[in-house]
Amino acid sequence: MNQENGSALTETVRLLCRTPGGPRFGDVLVVGGGISGIQASLDLASAGFKVYLIDRGPAIGGRMAQLDKTFPTNDCSM
Amino acid sequence: MDRVAGEAGDFTVTLLRKPRYVLEEKCTGCTTCVEYCPALCPDAFNQGLSQSKAIHIHYAQAIPLIAYIDDSCLYLKERKCRICEAVCKNRAIDFRQKPETLAVNVGAVILAPGFEPYDPRESGRYGYGRLANVVTSMDFERLMCATGPTEGEIRRPSDGRPPRRIAWVQCVGSRRVTPGENRYCSAVCCTYTQKQVILTKDHDPEAACTIFHNDVRSFGKDFERFCERAARLPDVRFIRSYVSIVGETAGSNVVVRYATASEGVREEEFDLVVLSVGMKPPAEAARLAERFGIALDPSGFCRVDPAHPLQTSRPGVFVSGAFAGPMDIPESVFAASGAGARCGELLSRRRGRLARERVFPPEKDVAAEEPRVGVFVCHCGANIGRVVDVPATVEYARGLPHVVYAQEQLFSCATNCAKEITAIAREKGLNRLVVAACSPRTLEPLFRDTLREAGLNPYFFEMANIREHCSWVHSLEKDAATRKARDIVRMSVARASRLEPLKEFTLPVHKAALVLGGGVAGMTCALSIAAQGHLVHLVERGEDLGGLARRLHTSLDGMDIPARVRDLAERVYANPRIRVYTRARVVSAEGYIGNFLTRIASDRGESEIRHGATVIATGADLYRPAEYRYGQDGRVLTLLELEEAIARGEERVLGAGRTVMIQCVGCRNAERTYCSRICCSAAVKNARRLKELNPAMDVCILYRDMMTYGFREEAYREAAERGVRFIRFEPERPPRVEAVAEGGASVLRVVVDDPVLGRTLAMDAGVLALAAAVVPAADAPEIAGLFKVALGPDGFFKEAHVKLRPVEFATDGVFLCGQAHYPKHLPETIKQAYGAAGRVAALLANDTVVASGAVCEVLERRCIGCGSCIAACTYGAIRISETKAGPKAAVNPVLCKGDGLCNAKCPTGAIVLKHFTDEELASQIDAAADAAASETLNRKAG
Amino acid sequence: MENLADYQEIVDLIRANGGEAFKRCFQCGLCDAVCPWNRFRAFSMRRIVREAAFGLTDIESEDLWRCTTCGRCPAQCPRDVRQIDSGTALRRIATEYGVFPPTARPVRGVRGSLMAEGNPLNEPRRKRADWAEGLGVPAFAEGMEFLYFPGCYLCYDPRLKKVARATAAVLQAAGVAFGILGERENCCGESIRKAGDEEAFKRLARENIKAFIDHGVRKILVSSPHCYHTFKNEYPEFKAAFEVVHIAQLLPGLLAAGRLAFGDGRARTVAFHDPCYLGRHNGIFAEPRAVLSRLPGIRTVEMAETQADSLCCGGGGGRIWMETPRGERFADLRLTQAIEAGAEVLVTACPYCIANFEDSRLTLGLAEKIEIRDLTELVQEAL
Ligand SMILES: Cc1cc2nc3c(=O)[nH]c(=O)nc-3n(C[C@H](O)[C@H](O)[C@H](O)COP(=O)(O)OP(=O)(O)OC[C@H]3O[C@@H](n4cnc5c(N)ncnc54)[C@H](O)[C@@H]3O)c2cc1C
Ligand code: SF4
Ligand code: SF4
Ligand code: SF4
Ligand code: SF4
Repeated sequence: MNQENGSALTETVRLLCRTPGGPRFGDVLVVGGGISGIQASLDLASAGFKVYLIDRGPAIGGRMAQLDKTFPTNDCSM
Repeated sequence: MDRVAGEAGDFTVTLLRKPRYVLEEKCTGCTTCVEYCPALCPDAFNQGLSQSKAIHIHYAQAIPLIAYIDDSCLYLKERKCRICEAVCKNRAIDFRQKPETLAVNVGAVILAPGFEPYDPRESGRYGYGRLANVVTSMDFERLMCATGPTEGEIRRPSDGRPPRRIAWVQCVGSRRVTPGENRYCSAVCCTYTQKQVILTKDHDPEAACTIFHNDVRSFGKDFERFCERAARLPDVRFIRSYVSIVGETAGSNVVVRYATASEGVREEEFDLVVLSVGMKPPAEAARLAERFGIALDPSGFCRVDPAHPLQTSRPGVFVSGAFAGPMDIPESVFAASGAGARCGELLSRRRGRLARERVFPPEKDVAAEEPRVGVFVCHCGANIGRVVDVPATVEYARGLPHVVYAQEQLFSCATNCAKEITAIAREKGLNRLVVAACSPRTLEPLFRDTLREAGLNPYFFEMANIREHCSWVHSLEKDAATRKARDIVRMSVARASRLEPLKEFTLPVHKAALVLGGGVAGMTCALSIAAQGHLVHLVERGEDLGGLARRLHTSLDGMDIPARVRDLAERVYANPRIRVYTRARVVSAEGYIGNFLTRIASDRGESEIRHGATVIATGADLYRPAEYRYGQDGRVLTLLELEEAIARGEERVLGAGRTVMIQCVGCRNAERTYCSRICCSAAVKNARRLKELNPAMDVCILYRDMMTYGFREEAYREAAERGVRFIRFEPERPPRVEAVAEGGASVLRVVVDDPVLGRTLAMDAGVLALAAAVVPAADAPEIAGLFKVALGPDGFFKEAHVKLRPVEFATDGVFLCGQAHYPKHLPETIKQAYGAAGRVAALLANDTVVASGAVCEVLERRCIGCGSCIAACTYGAIRISETKAGPKAAVNPVLCKGDGLCNAKCPTGAIVLKHFTDEELASQIDAAADAAASETLNRKAG
Repeated sequence: MENLADYQEIVDLIRANGGEAFKRCFQCGLCDAVCPWNRFRAFSMRRIVREAAFGLTDIESEDLWRCTTCGRCPAQCPRDVRQIDSGTALRRIATEYGVFPPTARPVRGVRGSLMAEGNPLNEPRRKRADWAEGLGVPAFAEGMEFLYFPGCYLCYDPRLKKVARATAAVLQAAGVAFGILGERENCCGESIRKAGDEEAFKRLARENIKAFIDHGVRKILVSSPHCYHTFKNEYPEFKAAFEVVHIAQLLPGLLAAGRLAFGDGRARTVAFHDPCYLGRHNGIFAEPRAVLSRLPGIRTVEMAETQADSLCCGGGGGRIWMETPRGERFADLRLTQAIEAGAEVLVTACPYCIANFEDSRLTLGLAEKIEIRDLTELVQEAL
C-alpha cells in the first residue's frame, strides 16, 4: 500500500507536468523539484493556485529519487 | 533562473530553459537512441557507478520519461556524429533547439533547492576515490536499488562480489571541526544507515553489518523502534567509535581501525565500507541567494528566523525542505505544505482566478445495455512497454468476451490520450472501460472523469495494474510478464462487464475550521487558516492561550519565546476570523469531511460548532518521574522546573555549586520506546544559561546519546567549550541518586559509571534536574475516540502516512500538528502548524467535496440487527436504527471508507460493499482460475 | 569511586598549564584509532583526555610521556582537543612537581645539558661548529642570504654531522651565501618544550632570538623540521619573526634554476618518509618529492603510510631522549614498510628520523637491505 502511495505522488506530478501550459502568468514559482518542491506545488495547485515548478535537472524528484527506499517505513521512494 | 524583480505579490522572474535537444511531444522514451549513442559518460544519477550515454533518460521512473542530450554529446562538442537523429523513428531529435528565456509573473516564490550530499574527497581523510571499496551512502543507495548500476544486487566496486562484511562510518562530513568538514549534525544519516542495514540484511541475511558511530541519533517519530529493529538483526553491531580507514589488503578489502573502551584499539577488515555522508547546502545556494536577494546562514543554508521557519529574509520568498538546514523527508513534506500556506496567506485574494472549472455532459443510462467493453493498454513510456508485449496484449484483449474495442497508448494518463479514450468511447458506443496501466490508487480519479466526459457513469471503469504488479517486478522475464499481463487484463474485463453504475455524493463544505488546542501549534495554524480567508474556532482547554510554551523562557536558537507567545496570542484574540473558546471541553463530535458538528462547553457556555475541517493540536504531557528521588527531595526538579526556577532567578538554583542533569528519564525504555527529542537540547540550553549566570558553577549532563541533531550540535559543542561536562552512561547502568548525611548536612549524591574511564564518578549536586519524557496527553485516547482518529504505538496521534500525508489523519478532513503528533522543537512545530493550515486551506478552498459511491449498503431484509458490523467498522459509519421490522444496521455513506471489514463479519451477508460485490469479485476470480481458457486464447493470440 | 569535588583543583591546575582544550572531547575514540602507539601496545589518548577533564590524571604514569607529538590525532580530532598542547600541559605539571617515571628520567639530564651547554647531548658548547672544520663555512655576517642553523644533532652526532657537511657542500655548489653562528647557537628548544619544560624552552628561545638579532639575521635555513616548526610557529610568541626555510624547501628552487650540476647517478629505488614536523605539522609534502624527481638514477616509490598519514619515527615530543623497548619502536615498522615498498634507500629530512632509522637498521640487522639518507645527502651524492 505504501508503495502505491509513493507512486501516487509520482502520478499526480506526472499529471501536473502534462497539463498544458497557459499564459506566462502564475501565482507561485517553486524552485527545486525535490520532494519538498513537489509537495509544495501539489498543495498550492489543489488550493487553487497556478504553480510553476522549475528544476535545474532534466527530471524532477531530487535526491529522494536516488534513494532506494526511505526510512522510517522503508517504502519505495518513488 | 536568471533574474528576479518586483516584490511580494508581484515578482517577475526570468527563467532560462536549457534545450534538451529532444522534442517532448515526439519522444516515446523508447531508448533506441541511447543504444546507438557512442558517447559514454559516467551516470550521475547512479553516482558515477555506471556508464550512461550523452543521450539518455535520467532514470527509469523519471518524469518526464523522455530522453535528453547532455554536454558530453559529440555533436554539441565537436559538431560530429548525429547518430541519434538518424536512428530516432519518431523524429524527436532536434539539434536546432536553443536556450530559451521566459519571464513569468508570480505573486510568491518557494525555494526548495534541497541539499548536496557531502563529498568525502573534500577532507581527503576517508580513502574515498582512492580505495575502490570505500563508497558513500549515496552510492550505496544506488547499489541497493533495482534501477541502480548493479540492478539491485549489492556488489562491491572492485570485483563485483557481494560484500559479506560491511561497515558504515557515521558523521562523515558532519559534527567535525576539522577543515573540509561541517560542524553541524546532518540529522538524517543515523537513521538512513539503519535503513541501509535493514535492506542489506533483506538482500543477504548472511551479511555482517557494523555501524561505527558516536551517538545514535534516533530522535524522530518511530526512529528508536526502527533503530532497535536494525540492532536486533543477527550479525549487526553498533560500535561507538569513529574510525580510521587505514588502507586496503591485497584482495581490496578495506582495513579499518577503531577504539573500544574495553578492548582498546582493534583493526578489522571489511569487504565494503560505506561512508554515511552528511548534507551540504546545494551547490547553487550562493547564486540563488544573490539572485533572490536572500540571506544565507554561516554554513551556507538558507537563513531563517526560528520563529518564522519558512520565511527567507525577503518578503514573499519562502523556503521549504533541506535548503533550510538538514532535515528528513517527513519534515521536508510538512514544511512544503507550510510554505504553501504562507503563499496562500499572501495571495488569498488571487486564489482560483487562474484555475478552471470542468463541466461534464449528462450521464446516459446504459444499465440495460449489453456490456460493450473497451480496453486501452498503456506503454507508460517504456515502463511497461519495455517488458510487456503491449501490441500482443491488445490483440489478446480483442478476443475476450464483451470486448468490442482495444488499442494501445503511449501514456494513457496524458491529456491527449485521455481525450482519445473519451472520443472512442462515444464513437464506438462503449459502456465499460478497462485501462491496463498502473495502480488505480492514483489514476482512477482521472479515468473516471474520462468516462464522465463520455457521458458514462464513472463506476463503469476498471484498471488493470500491469506496471507495479507486472512490468516493474518481472523486468527480466518478458514472456512470463506478458502472459501475466494478459491474465490481469482478462480478470479486469470480466469484472468490468459486471460493474454497476453508482451515485456519488457531493457534499457542501462548511468553510470553517475547528482547531483543538491553543498552544503555539494551534495558534499558528489558526492564524494561517484565518489569513487564508476562513473562519476558525480555536478551542483551548486552559484559561489562556499559549500551552507549554508559556513555561519556556529561552531557546537554543535565540528565539524570544515569551515574546513570541504573547504576540501570537494577541494576534489570535485580535483576529476577527478567529473565535477563541477557553476553558473548553469537547462534549461531542460528529460529522464528516466538510460537515463536522462539534459541541463544546466553555467560557462561552455550550456551543455547537459547524466546521469543514478539524485540526488536532492538543500537544502532549510531561512525565512525572518516579525515579531519582523526584518528589522526595526538593533539590530534584524536572528540566522544565529548572528552566522556570532560572527565569525566576531562584538563588538555590543560581547559587548551586554544582547542577547535575540526568537525561532520558521515562523514555527510551521498554515502556516508552521513543526518544523525546527535545530534552537533550533543553539540557544544553539550560546548562549554557547557568554557565552564563554563574560561570563558577559546575554543570554535569549525564546522557545516553546526545540528540543535538542539526544545528543544535553547535550548541552542544559550545556548552562543552564553556566547561559543561558530559558524562555518558549505559542504559543498563543508570545513575544512582542518594541523599547522604555528611558533616551534619544532607548531600544529594549522584553516582555514575563512566565507560571510557572505567571508573565510578560521584557528584554532589546542589540541584538535580531530570529530563522528564514528553508523553502523550492523558486525554489523547478520548480525543482520538471523539474524532475517530488513530493513535500510534507510542500513544501519540498517528498521521495517515509519515512521508506522504504527515499532517493529516486517515480520517478525511481531520489534521494534526505540534506535539500531539510527536515531541518537537518550536520551529518544527510552527512549520508543521503551517503545513496543517495549508492542507486545511486546500480543503476549504473547495465549495464541495465528493464522497465515493463505492460504499457499503445494508440489505435490510437480511439484517438481524446483531451489531457485528458496528464493532468491525473503524470509522464509526454504521449505526443501528429502529425500523418497523425491528433494529437494523444503517450505513452513513459519507463516513464509510469502503474497506469492507464489515462484510466479512456479517453472519447473514446483509451488508454489501458496492463496486466490490460478491458477483463482481467472483467473476474476476473465475476469470483468473480459467487457466485453460486463457491457454487456448493465448495460443490464438500468440 | 571518585568524588568530583576532590579533583576540581587538579582540573584548574591543568587548565592553568594550557590544558584548556581537554574539556571539548566528546569521546569519539578517533585519537586512539589513529595513534601509532596502538600498533605496538595499548595506549589511549582518549583516556588521558578524559582523565584530565575530570582531574583524574595520574601524574606519575608512563603514559603521560608516551605521545610523540606526531600530530595525527590533533589533525583528525573532530572537537579540536589539541592533544599535543593539552598533553604538554600535563607534562608541565609533572615537571613542576619533579615527578618523572623511569622512562622519562633522561629528561632531567637533558635539561641540565641544555642549560649548561645549549644542547641536549651533553656536548661542550665550544665544539658546536666542529662539524664544519675544513669546509670553509664562514661565520654568519650581515648581508649573507641565510643563517644556516644545523641544530644540535647535526652539530654533534657522528652520523648526522655528515648531513651538516652535505648541506654545506650543496649550498656551496649552488653558490648560496650562508654562514653559521657556531657557539652562539643554542638548541631551538622545540623538544624540551614538548617534554614539559617551558622554562628551559623560554631561555633557549630568548638566547637564540638575541643571537639572531645581534647578528642581523633575517632568513634562517634549517635542516631539522623541529627547528623549523618552533622558529616559524612558536618563536613569534616572543614577538620575533624571521623568515624560516627548511632545506627541503630551498632545494627545488636551486634545482629548477640549474644551480646544481649532476652526473649520471647510481640507479636506486628510494622511498621518502615524511617527518611529522615537516609534513603533518607544516604541510611540506611536495617539495622533497620534487627534489627526488630531479635526481639522476633515482626512482621513487611510496610506502604504505605517506604524506598526511605518515607513520611517526617515534622521536618527537622528547621521545628521542627516552628509551623505547624493542617491539615498540615505530622506526622498526617504518623500515619494514620501506622494504615492502621495494625501496633500497629510505630518504627523509629530519635528524630524529635518521637517528631512529639508523638505530633500527642496525638492531634489526637490515644493514644489507636498506640505507638511510637525508635528502641533502642524496643531492650531494648526485653532484
Ligand atoms: C544517503 C541519504 C539517504 C537518505 N535516506 C533518507 C530516508 O531513508 N528517509 C528520509 O526521510 N530522508 C532520507 N534522506 C534525507 C532526504 O533525502 C531529504 O530529507 C530530502 O530529500 C530533502 O528534500 P528536498 O526537496 O528538500 O531536497 P532535494 O531532494 O535535494 O531536492 C531539491 C531539488 O531542487 C533542485 N534545485 C536545486 N537548486 C535549484 C535551482 N537553483 N533551480 C531549480 N532547481 C534547483 C534540485 O535539482 C533538486 O531536484 C537521506 C539523505 C541521504 C544523503
Ligand atoms: S550523529 Fe548526526 S551527523 Fe552523525 S551520523 Fe548521526 S545524524 Fe549524521
Ligand atoms: S534526553 Fe531526551 S532527547 Fe535526549 S536522548 Fe533522551 S529522550 Fe532523547
Ligand atoms: S579524537 Fe578528540 S574528541 Fe575524539 S576522543 Fe580523541 S580527543 Fe576526544
Ligand atoms: S600526537 Fe601522535 S603520538 Fe601523540 S597521541 Fe596523537 S597520534 Fe599518538
